Amino acid sequence: MNRTFRTISIIARNELADSVRSRWFIAMVILYLIGAAAATALFISFLHSIETEVLRTIGVSASKAAGGATTTLWKSDSLRRVLVELVGDRKLVDNLLSVPPLGLFYGWLAFFFTPALVMLTSSTRIAEEVSTGSVRYVMFRAARSHWCIGKFVGQALQVLVALLLSAVGAWTVGMFRMHGFEPMATAGYMVLFALKAWIYALPFLGLALGVSQFCRSPILAVVFGFLSMVALSIVSFVSKLLAGKGWRGLWDIVHAFTPGAHKSGLWWNDGAHVIPAVAFLLALAAAYYLVGYARFSRRDL
Amino acid sequence: MSAALELKGVVKCYGKLRALDGLDLAVPCGSIFGLIGSNGAGKTTAMAVATGLLQPGGGEINLLGAGAFCAEKHAGRVAVLPQDSRFPPHARVEQLLRFYAQLQGVPADAVESNINELLDWVHLSDRRRSAVRTLSHGMCRRVSIAQAFLGAPELVLLDEPLNGLDPREAARVRDLIRQRRGKQAIVISSHQLTDIEALCDHVAFIEKGKLVRQDTLEKIMQRAHRITYMFGGGLFPLPQLSAALPEVKWELAENRATAVFPSKYTTEELNAVVLRILLDAGVGVLEIQRGSDLESEYLRLSPV
Repeated sequence: MNRTFRTISIIARNELADSVRSRWFIAMVILYLIGAAAATALFISFLHSIETEVLRTIGVSASKAAGGATTTLWKSDSLRRVLVELVGDRKLVDNLLSVPPLGLFYGWLAFFFTPALVMLTSSTRIAEEVSTGSVRYVMFRAARSHWCIGKFVGQALQVLVALLLSAVGAWTVGMFRMHGFEPMATAGYMVLFALKAWIYALPFLGLALGVSQFCRSPILAVVFGFLSMVALSIVSFVSKLLAGKGWRGLWDIVHAFTPGAHKSGLWWNDGAHVIPAVAFLLALAAAYYLVGYARFSRRDL
Repeated sequence: MSAALELKGVVKCYGKLRALDGLDLAVPCGSIFGLIGSNGAGKTTAMAVATGLLQPGGGEINLLGAGAFCAEKHAGRVAVLPQDSRFPPHARVEQLLRFYAQLQGVPADAVESNINELLDWVHLSDRRRSAVRTLSHGMCRRVSIAQAFLGAPELVLLDEPLNGLDPREAARVRDLIRQRRGKQAIVISSHQLTDIEALCDHVAFIEKGKLVRQDTLEKIMQRAHRITYMFGGGLFPLPQLSAALPEVKWELAENRATAVFPSKYTTEELNAVVLRILLDAGVGVLEIQRGSDLESEYLRLSPV
């Protein structure tokens, strides 16, 4: 195996092992698992209360479990027509309605929470080693670039494992609490959304490690990590709002540099939408990460 | 390649402070090299600059004949025992050493035996499965020393290696370093001049980021030209000695006389004559010291 890949893989494995040893990874996995399970349980309860309300209104006795009416509604042409009117895109509506309701909910949940969790767990990883000096035991054994890439890969694998386990948590709750639950289809879509949420999380991981490469204090790294994430969200929102024709087209370019601009592509199930979104998100992950590395490669350790 | 490490006019500034101010240094291959200087003289900075941990502001660095530090060229060939650096607290000793060994390219079939040998060396075999956070400061220091010798790199830089070690462990580590003489170039920075004297064959004094003097310990301590006699009683027979050895100069202090002699005499010849005259004069010789001591030379070369 090429020495570069070998070095990166050793560092990535150690990153995983170190997270397990410090219980940090276990805490993160539990956080994802319990978070996803609890959110799914809440969602199902909410769904049940809506269904009960609707069925009472039309004078039909409500079922004990949630989901029966939703599943029927989900497959109805009436809902499809309403959504097409609202969204204005029949293909997107067909695409979304082909996903079981709980699969769709899990996708939303993963897209919404993963960036913040990634900032929380990953932004300390390099700053901490610089602050304790433990990085000095490594820097004469591996190139700085290899070490940072190894850290990125290790962290990315952790997020992937955590997302997949959170899907298991959400699926298990759905299995026992939702009427009309389609186990195989829902599991498939949950895994797919876990992978998509992972891709969507990579720019945030690049941002977290980019910030971490700038800072000497792990606390500062977390603070700056969150501030940069909030700043990115604001830029994404404002640029989308201001984008238009003529010179306002520049806002489209600004918008393209934020992960939010490419999230919509991940809601689709076809390559024509997903592949460009994935390519942009990977490029953003590399860009954010490299801004930090430009500093780290020359800094005193 | 004659020098394992060569620094020429190396500069390193921290803001307005010039920590290294055109430092020159040449560490011969296979030597044990002592780096001596007061606090803030630039010893730690010199080591960090040499191994790429700090970015120099100027000058030339040549590490193992392959230019300035570059991981592609030097990984596995150079090791450092950094000062004030902590290990990840949750890692176990053997896991940590295994990680470092793998990283620097120690062959897979040699990793375990290398770790076992080094842990035995630093007396930590029984703590191999302990988490770093459960180790004392001295034990962590010994793990640090062990990691520096993993894979027998050609150049090892040890920053205050014996700091925080109890006397027994310090002696053990000194033995460990002595055994490596001729096999690896080892640079030791220390304030303990007795350690440097006991271990090193080359010494450099640095002050305010500049080299004051570099030479072999033999020359710095003037072992070939100085003998000091400590005596307990009787009148020192200076006239007889001057008559017998007219080319020898004597420096007298209380109960102490130092002979400074030309190279026509060997130490043994001079000693034989001097001892005979001292004993004949009834002077009780308590101790004989060959050459000067490093502390005196340090104080002479690095005045306040």
